[in-house]
Amino acid sequence: MQRCSQISIAKETKCIIGAAIAFANQPVRVRDANMATAAEDEFYLRYYVGHKGKFGHEFLEFEFRPDGKLRYANNSNYKNDTMIRKEVFLTPAVLKECRRIISESEIMKEDDANWPEPDRVGRQELEIVMGNEHISFTTSKIGSLVDVQSSKDPEGLRIFYYLVQDLKCFVFSLISLHFKIKPI
Amino acid sequence: MANADAEAVDFEPEEDDLMDEDGAVDVDASPRAPLPKLKSAITGGSSSLSAARKTKGRGFREEADADRQTRLASRDFDSLGSDGGPGPQRSIEGWIILVTGVHEEAQEDDLQNAFGDFGEIKNLHLNLDRRTGFVKGYALIEYEKFEEAQNAIAAMNGTELLTQIINVDWAFINGPIRRKNMRSGRAHRSRSPRRRY
Repeated sequence: MQRCSQISIAKETKCIIGAAIAFANQPVRVRDANMATAAEDEFYLRYYVGHKGKFGHEFLEFEFRPDGKLRYANNSNYKNDTMIRKEVFLTPAVLKECRRIISESEIMKEDDANWPEPDRVGRQELEIVMGNEHISFTTSKIGSLVDVQSSKDPEGLRIFYYLVQDLKCFVFSLISLHFKIKPI
Repeated sequence: MANADAEAVDFEPEEDDLMDEDGAVDVDASPRAPLPKLKSAITGGSSSLSAARKTKGRGFREEADADRQTRLASRDFDSLGSDGGPGPQRSIEGWIILVTGVHEEAQEDDLQNAFGDFGEIKNLHLNLDRRTGFVKGYALIEYEKFEEAQNAIAAMNGTELLTQIINVDWAFINGPIRRKNMRSGRAHRSRSPRRRY
């Protein structure tokens, strides 16, 4: 019920009736089934890697939104450089391929409980909503497979390590193809 | 009685233009844990559905740094302008298509042979799986002209390449995806009460 507080009065009545019916275990109507399917179809992905240091807050971040928008940001003050921000709308085909990459990696089955915590060297964040699962992992930067092997969860961290590389490949290809002019 | 209830509870969040505007305003606010601002989250009746979403990870327990919200929320992201209409968007120097279902042992030459007939391929990205070294499964191909790309899509989508069926489609479009499956029921809203006899 609290969710309805921000909705206008006209909708509030419908909201309360709707919630009451949902709770009353009525047979699922077609619309509810569609909402359920829609919730199962939700897809969102955000990845961040960065640190704060001599050259400011240096980070790389990209985000796949449910409406197809891909946002990419890369920031550094190295040699007084400035932020790069790009965005483009992707087709459902591209989102579908991204989902395939994620589900094949099986990252959704992992947990970051035993992964190294973010530190001064840097941090990584991976947030994914796929269907009815929502993960939000944070960990430190991973220098190489040595860091993966010596961690408390080498199997899970390895999956994360390679998935991040595959996602970066995908995003860099999309962004550079769309925005970058080829030199002669 | 059940029918009357269905009529009374006739809120179609995706058809409601007011909701859509709210959604559009939120578009620049970056979604973040615990719940991204997805359209489905604002329907009151979905409280039981969002409770069904399993959450996992340190990101939910940590305090989000103030930065996180603002980083992807700013409005000044560069993008290529579009001609206004819906449909595929031209990239900086051509038109880009996505091929999926590519066999893991495919080589660039295989794609050049299959797709080179439709026009000169200006750019080809056939990325590898970083762990196995095999082809990841997708390829991005750029043609200079719209017709070349369109012909490639029409001719190659659903065909076989190296024993596997590939799918070919545009990569970039002009605007957001409008999810059709959320628009159930009547296509147009009518404010008059439904006839009840």
